[in-house]
Amino acid sequence: MRVLIVEDEAKMAGLLQRGLRNEGIAADLAGEGEDAIWMAGATEYDAIVLDLMLPGMDGFEVCRRLRDDGVPSPVLMLTARDGVDDRVTGLDAGADDYLIKPFSYAELLARLRALVRRGNGERRPELQVGDLRMDPATRRVWRGDREIELTTKEFAVLEVFMRRPGEVLSRFQLLEHAWDYEYENRSNIVDSYVRLLRRKIDRPFGTQSIETIRGAGYRLREGGA
Amino acid sequence: MTRLPIRLRLTLAFTVMMALLLAALGWFIYARFDSELSDQIDQSLRAHGDDIASLLAHRDIGRSATLLGREESFAQVLTPDGRIYATAPQLGPRPQLTPAETARAARQPFLVTRPRIRTITGQGRLLARPVQARGQTFVVVVAASLDDRNESLRNLRTILLIGGPVALLLASLAGYVVAGSALRPVEAMRRRAAEISAGESGQRLPRPEANDELRRLGDTLNEMLARLEAALERERAFVDDASHELRTPLASHKTELELALRYAATPEEMRTAIASAVAEVDRLVQLAEDLLVLARTQEGQLPLEVRRVRIADLLGDLRERFASRIGESGRSLTVHPADGLVVEGDRARLEQALGNLVENALQHGDGEITVRAALEGREVEIHVEDRGPGFPPEFIRHAFERFSRADPARGGEGTGLGLAIVEAIAAAHRGSAHVANRDGPGADVWIELPA
Repeated sequence: MRVLIVEDEAKMAGLLQRGLRNEGIAADLAGEGEDAIWMAGATEYDAIVLDLMLPGMDGFEVCRRLRDDGVPSPVLMLTARDGVDDRVTGLDAGADDYLIKPFSYAELLARLRALVRRGNGERRPELQVGDLRMDPATRRVWRGDREIELTTKEFAVLEVFMRRPGEVLSRFQLLEHAWDYEYENRSNIVDSYVRLLRRKIDRPFGTQSIETIRGAGYRLREGGA
Repeated sequence: MTRLPIRLRLTLAFTVMMALLLAALGWFIYARFDSELSDQIDQSLRAHGDDIASLLAHRDIGRSATLLGREESFAQVLTPDGRIYATAPQLGPRPQLTPAETARAARQPFLVTRPRIRTITGQGRLLARPVQARGQTFVVVVAASLDDRNESLRNLRTILLIGGPVALLLASLAGYVVAGSALRPVEAMRRRAAEISAGESGQRLPRPEANDELRRLGDTLNEMLARLEAALERERAFVDDASHELRTPLASHKTELELALRYAATPEEMRTAIASAVAEVDRLVQLAEDLLVLARTQEGQLPLEVRRVRIADLLGDLRERFASRIGESGRSLTVHPADGLVVEGDRARLEQALGNLVENALQHGDGEITVRAALEGREVEIHVEDRGPGFPPEFIRHAFERFSRADPARGGEGTGLGLAIVEAIAAAHRGSAHVANRDGPGADVWIELPA
């Protein structure tokens, strides 16, 4: 999962980025509206956290421009103002959810997960492909009844697969959804993580759920192995 | 009287005035009519007297016993000693004057009103006058009835006594109606005023069409409403801003602590988080104190301990306070106190104001910081200058507004209240605060205090 944080207050932005990364969520920062619009156009973010109070263009305007540009990523607005008018304006500008500062960090995470789930047309908070199960809220993964221990990044890569079961995902798509801009664009990092994942979710169970599609990328088999 | 409604009071006052006026007018008309009629009667008595006088003077008729014919209702000619010389036949042989009256009439004429006079019905008027004829003096006595006159006056009185009150009643009713319609805009304004609540904005009282006192009153009240609304709007904006300014640091503060709770694995990480949280709390404390100062000045309650303050001492303390921080920053602070300058003021508050200015210069300016004081006319000016980039031109107009920062991104350091507090303190000292850019370049912020 990859999220764009649009926040001009450096301290808050840094904290959010650190927190999300701790959750295995790739997080990029934009300090102002223009940057945010450019970045959201270039990368398909799973969600955008947008502060209302920005220098120059405010959050409402950024949101409107994002929607005009056809950016589909769900937008979670943050604001220190709690007027009903602001909330209405925010939602009407195309935001999907709204949080008032100071918010609970746990709530922010939960709302982000809910937004991403909704964006994928899912209803259940758990993801399931074959007998592979994932709970993004608690960051736990099971094959059948057995729980699998994954590192944060392994989890992030598996989540990308599990949100699009049966789809062929290119190395670039995987990279785009599981890593943020701070990682260099080395596609063999994707291969390394796929290898690590197979070692944990397939080999112990004798399954082959992650397929290599020659010249295209990888695919998580829908019917399981 | 003052307890009655205005409409009734106006009508009552009008009615009383009107009653006095009508009574005076009625009396005047009656008196004029009376004197007119009396004059007429006296005139005709005199003419009658003249007629008899000229008959008496006539050579033939004057001597005749038929000097006064049958048609005369009341006429006698007497000699000064009271004997009858001639009389109207109906009167008979009795003189109509007493001997004293006859003697008086022989000297000069007189008019008298009598309740009863022979042959005349009702009240009568009598004229007696001397006439010189045939070498001797006669007294001619004529009289006429006052009945017609009295009848006319009675009629007039009746008309006045009935017509007056009717006119008074009609006028009062009209007055009541007019007062009501004149006061109707007041009631309309009152009703609207009762509906206006603090929450709504843009509500105004209805203005009467006519360009009158009530319209001016309405306009004045509406202007007052507009001023109150603007003040309320400023208050609301201040509270909005204040809540935003409090929430922003609180938000990152809270997130920081939550992250530490969730992820911090080592005591070192925990320590870093707590240290950062402490710094954040310091900032919040400063913000709360600044807000308190501003709130108090707004209510006009900023307590000042006014004493004689020597500017040289004030600036000396300021330099000492910033000495270590100036040293750390590698910049310099120069103080030029003019000798012998003294102001009446609260030393702690003045130091706070100047401290804010030096703090700003330290954080946002660059190069040497100069603090100088000088007497300009009747004011003491204390300037704080730096050699940084100065203020953005569009900021200068809003420099003293609360929460305005030269750096539009609100996340910047400081509360955005520093200059607002400087101005509030200067104003509490009946002084003022100003900003400008130096040609240097650099920023120049100063306060002016009455010397």
